Amino acid sequence: MSDHETLRGWLSLAAAGALEPQEQAELDRHLGICEECAAELERWSEMARGLKRLPTPQPSPRLIERVRAQLESSAAARTERRWNHGVLAFLVLFSWTLTLAGWPIVRLASRGVASWLDLGFTGTWTTLVWYTVLTWLTGGVAGAVLSWQKRRERRLA
Amino acid sequence: MMAAIAQTIWEAPVGVETDVARLRRGDPEALGALLERYQNRLYRYLLRLVREPAAAEDVFQQTWVRVAEQARRYDPRKSFDAWLFTVARNLAIDHLRRFRPESLDEPLPSGEARGDQIAAAPASSLDRAIFQERAARLAEAMVSLPAVYREVLTLRFEEEMKLEEIAEVLGAPLSTVKTRLRRSLESLRRKLEARGPAGDWV
Repeated sequence: MSDHETLRGWLSLAAAGALEPQEQAELDRHLGICEECAAELERWSEMARGLKRLPTPQPSPRLIERVRAQLESSAAARTERRWNHGVLAFLVLFSWTLTLAGWPIVRLASRGVASWLDLGFTGTWTTLVWYTVLTWLTGGVAGAVLSWQKRRERRLA
Repeated sequence: MMAAIAQTIWEAPVGVETDVARLRRGDPEALGALLERYQNRLYRYLLRLVREPAAAEDVFQQTWVRVAEQARRYDPRKSFDAWLFTVARNLAIDHLRRFRPESLDEPLPSGEARGDQIAAAPASSLDRAIFQERAARLAEAMVSLPAVYREVLTLRFEEEMKLEEIAEVLGAPLSTVKTRLRRSLESLRRKLEARGPAGDWV
């Protein structure tokens, strides 16, 4: 393929401003001596200018309002979710603190009562541990089921 | 010289960074500002891609909801334009696959672009009539192109994106973008010439 043919193949990209600087420089030199290519470039450029000036379709104000309303309601839902997560985290932390802090108190109280009444209370620790495990396990399963149900509802909506 | 001029012409708009930074910090006002800034460009891009105004409106709405949800995932070192248009593109492709799997590359009879606003129309009534007639022919030819060609043409000429940004939106190498751009221009010109005498619209 001759240089002329090769450079002619670049003209559409030249009109799109998509040539590398060295390609553009080479084409510029050729355009200085080739009227045919210069005329052809003008045709491509005219088409490129036409594309840039195509009528611009605009979204209707009704659509923009709809989008704004949806974004606002989504933002409100996100804020509420964040608040709920925060409250949940606080409650979990509070429960654990209460549980952990409660154990020494119960132990102290049971010892005092045991020594006063001379009772063994041998099963106190085991009962307390099992009670705690069972309570948190039930809470965890209930939380997981509720969360799964909520996600399913959101997906269906 | 020409390269410098081309660089200036294709330069991306400035001032978006502030809104984007506010959006990433969770400022709800920022999303409204970005919607206002990008609404025409994004809608135009989606309309060129999906061709049906009702579908473009649906995808437009989905795009902004997705942007609100994923704003924190945006990497501020990259172009926001490219990220936004990529989000929109993925949703548009989902839409095309879901609703028109058989006609992804086929023209739709009702897919004419709407001409609500004429940009930079010539002053005199005769010139304006010629300009509008040419614009209509060009829009008609463009809408009959395959989706991949319409997309690259609108990103380059209407959105005035840099080639690198287009590559980012398309998720394709720069060489592919150039090839697609060249083929789309050649295809468009063939369509125009088939619709009337060669060079008549020029």
